[in-house]
Amino acid sequence: MRCRTARRRLSDELDGALAPGPKVRLEVHLQACPACRAYRERIGLIQDRAKFSDERSPGSWAAFERALEAKLDAQGNKGPSLEGWRAWSRGWAWAAAAALVLVAMTAWYVLQRSGGPVPLETWNAYDDVLTPLVQAADADLELAARADREVGAMIDELAPAPDTDAVVLPAADPLFWEGLSDDDLRGIVADLEEQTGRGGPA
Amino acid sequence: MDERPDERLVDEARKGGREAFAELVRRHERRVYGVALRMAGNVADADDLAQEVFLTAWKSMASFRSGSSFYTWLYRITVNTSLTCLKKRRREKNRAPFDENLPVGEPGPAEDPERSSSLTELTGRIGQALAGLPDHFRATFALVVDQGLSHADAAAVLGCSENTVSWRMHKARRLLQARLKPYLEENRT
Repeated sequence: MRCRTARRRLSDELDGALAPGPKVRLEVHLQACPACRAYRERIGLIQDRAKFSDERSPGSWAAFERALEAKLDAQGNKGPSLEGWRAWSRGWAWAAAAALVLVAMTAWYVLQRSGGPVPLETWNAYDDVLTPLVQAADADLELAARADREVGAMIDELAPAPDTDAVVLPAADPLFWEGLSDDDLRGIVADLEEQTGRGGPA
Repeated sequence: MDERPDERLVDEARKGGREAFAELVRRHERRVYGVALRMAGNVADADDLAQEVFLTAWKSMASFRSGSSFYTWLYRITVNTSLTCLKKRRREKNRAPFDENLPVGEPGPAEDPERSSSLTELTGRIGQALAGLPDHFRATFALVVDQGLSHADAAAVLGCSENTVSWRMHKARRLLQARLKPYLEENRT
């Protein structure tokens, strides 16, 4: 096991998310690697000392609740609104429409392979369902974003995340790049240049 | 003490029951406030954020799906509200990004060196370093470390995969330990 993998596993271990198999391999690595043992000690100390002291007096919680009550009163004592529910329903309708498109595309692909023509009315049927939803999404950015998330969740369900023990490409996480320092980025560029023998733009 | 389960209180609150909602607030305000404090970094903003979270929850009760966990839903609102507020605040202040090479915090004038142990100092430095993490990393850290959520539960709140939670935690710890290394070495047991 390489140190990079071991450190990822150490983080999972701290969170209680490491399976027994990888845990054994991690322990074997740690016995032979003082640098990773020191790393474990450091992140363990951070974990211990990171806890918040968010203790507040009972009086301050009571004040918090009173302030909230006042804000709810100021809203005119209206009950929970159905607006959010409607938006959620529209989001699901959008996701269902996306699923229909997927089905239609699959059907089209199968028919193409078998040489059969796709009847025009098939497309018209989907068009009738989709057009109002596309227009609604064009007019409502929040709805469009919600639909994107729903479709994303469906894709996640259809293609589940890989086995936790599998090799993970850090660059696949969009936030990986966000957290890198300039030095990290320069290191990556240097590695790439070394591996490919090509330099970037001058 | 009210012993009705959350599900029943949620049902009543969805029908407009303010008393049931008030009980839900009492049960969950510490959790919401804890995440809000980690995200906002100060008590006043955390208080405002927590209020905003419960107002949003009240307005959106009808969209809450029975059968799912109320606290997961509430955490999701908390994280989303916090991220939106931070984005807004950053636009106003144009905050500097996380830099591993910057020293953590300037020497604080209010600290009495006689009274503050090195561990107390380390706790303060960790708080500052955490405040400098990218928002999504900090939200993940708040849920997993502060709130004790499993990777699966945190993934459900954040709307990402467990693998992403695991990676963010690893990355956050790597950034923190790199930045705090000198202070951590001082406090080695």
